[in-house]
Amino acid sequence: MSAVAHAPAKGPKVEYFQTNNLGPVFFGLMIAAGISLAILAGGAFLLDKKQVLFSLLYGFSFCFTICAGSLFWILVHHATDAEWSVVVRRILETMATSFRYIWVFFLPIAIGASTIYLWMDIAPGKDTILDGKRGMLNVPFWMTRAALIFFIFWGISHLLRTWSTAQDKDGDPKYTVFTRRLVFPSIVLFALGITFGAIDWLKGLDHYWFSTMWGVYIFAGSAWAAMATLIITTVTLKKAGYLEGIVNEEHFHIMGKLQLAFTVFWAYIGFGQYFLIWYANIPEETSYFIRRNTEGWNVLSTMLVVCHFFIPFLLLLWQPAKRNLNYMRGVAIYVLCVHALDHYIIVLPALHWAGVEFRSLFTDLAAVVLIASTLIFFFLKNLTKFPLYPLRDPRLKQSLNLKN
Amino acid sequence: MQKSAATEGEPQRVFGIAAEFDSPAALYHAAEKCRDYGFKKWDVHSPFPIHGMDAAMGLGRSKVSLIALCTALCGTTTGVILQGYPSLYEYPLIVHGKPLNWMTIPAFFPVIFELTILCCAFGALLGMLALNRLPRWNHPLFNWERFGRFSDDAFFVSIEADDPKFQETRTREFLESIGAKNITLVYE
Repeated sequence: MSAVAHAPAKGPKVEYFQTNNLGPVFFGLMIAAGISLAILAGGAFLLDKKQVLFSLLYGFSFCFTICAGSLFWILVHHATDAEWSVVVRRILETMATSFRYIWVFFLPIAIGASTIYLWMDIAPGKDTILDGKRGMLNVPFWMTRAALIFFIFWGISHLLRTWSTAQDKDGDPKYTVFTRRLVFPSIVLFALGITFGAIDWLKGLDHYWFSTMWGVYIFAGSAWAAMATLIITTVTLKKAGYLEGIVNEEHFHIMGKLQLAFTVFWAYIGFGQYFLIWYANIPEETSYFIRRNTEGWNVLSTMLVVCHFFIPFLLLLWQPAKRNLNYMRGVAIYVLCVHALDHYIIVLPALHWAGVEFRSLFTDLAAVVLIASTLIFFFLKNLTKFPLYPLRDPRLKQSLNLKN
Repeated sequence: MQKSAATEGEPQRVFGIAAEFDSPAALYHAAEKCRDYGFKKWDVHSPFPIHGMDAAMGLGRSKVSLIALCTALCGTTTGVILQGYPSLYEYPLIVHGKPLNWMTIPAFFPVIFELTILCCAFGALLGMLALNRLPRWNHPLFNWERFGRFSDDAFFVSIEADDPKFQETRTREFLESIGAKNITLVYE
């Protein structure tokens, strides 16, 4: 009843996400998480701890980038004073609440870090190149950075969501002003956070390797995958009968355009990184690509170029397609699969030189399912707590009347 | 009925009828009515873009994107042939120890990309100009003095005499019925 009391005098009706008939979904998510946890635990005790830690790192990087991407889209929304995204902002804000939980899955990686990151086990003085990087690559600083990244990302997303939901109650525009003041410094913190995260957790797998593009490369994939996740969530909510008359094909048209834009952006960054390293042919830069362009990984790396750029580019080029909800959901699911392939090629070659190891696919998949199902579980729980879109945002009307 | 200024005595071809509306909203609804009446060769003129006007006019999709796609593909093909043929077949040179087969394609990519973008931009610009029949020296609508205000504070609808549904009196009555002001016959 309180929802009705808070309803604005004019405008669309207040909507809450209902979980009454979602019991099977929650049950299914818990079962999936339980089975994956059992597979991972079994793998750790019976087979290979190192393999399980790499699988966890893979699952973690896949999910973390999506959460970071959703935070990026909220920041961009506020920094540009965007109109179109007001109606889907609450979904992004709820996606970004995952920073409350995702650090739990980083704990085993942090505890077993010296198994994954070889530089942690090399004593000072034994490796000249590594000694030159000790200012950055030392365990206490590495741990501090990880803690800072989680804290900052959680803090920003928490403040943004708190102010956004507070505005639902009284419609005070001061919250919009607060948010505006917060987002500009936050963009800097976000860029630093995702760059250091990418370097510490993924590039650190090969401590000899140099690439100045690495942070941007990971970021490009993050924003791309987060937009796909937003599309899947919004279409699924619409299919379930929510957001009727709130989100329409005009919003999907814009999301499709951004999906296409970030397809091109990823290709630009990815090619820029590869091209300069390939042309210059300096040993300390080529190590990453030599490993991924030889033996079993060559096929997957070539596939990545086609699947991450050419196919989605052509799929998203045609204008009417971007206004078709079912089509966009199909493309978005495909995008997430390719994002999984992208991170597979980033993480796993550090462990398996020769190519994909069949045995490891079980734990890799289990890690993704474990983390993703846990985050989806809490996402659905958190989505019920507040209205499905910002009820009294000053830009709500423009967003509802959006025309491309 | 007003008439646009023209030299007396000489036989003149009628370009069409133009009329003025008070506000963007009035122009928008007038456009919907003209669309529903079935006019084909007509236009609206306002000092700024009005959201949703293309739907109100029933314009459908612009062909510029198709032209741009075609010219972009021409650019891609040019880039591939222009570099691939001499570098791999006509005058092969090993540079930086890079292979002499299609695996060298990263080296060709920047030029392929730039040519694609360049041709796409040219296609979009020139295609837009061609579809608008631009450039031209003058337009008959400027024979009506009042029409100059279209870039300042006035909103106009113009219906061309070539339109199959155009009939001088009936079109004027139609424009009167939808609330137009200063309905004027414009000569070429």
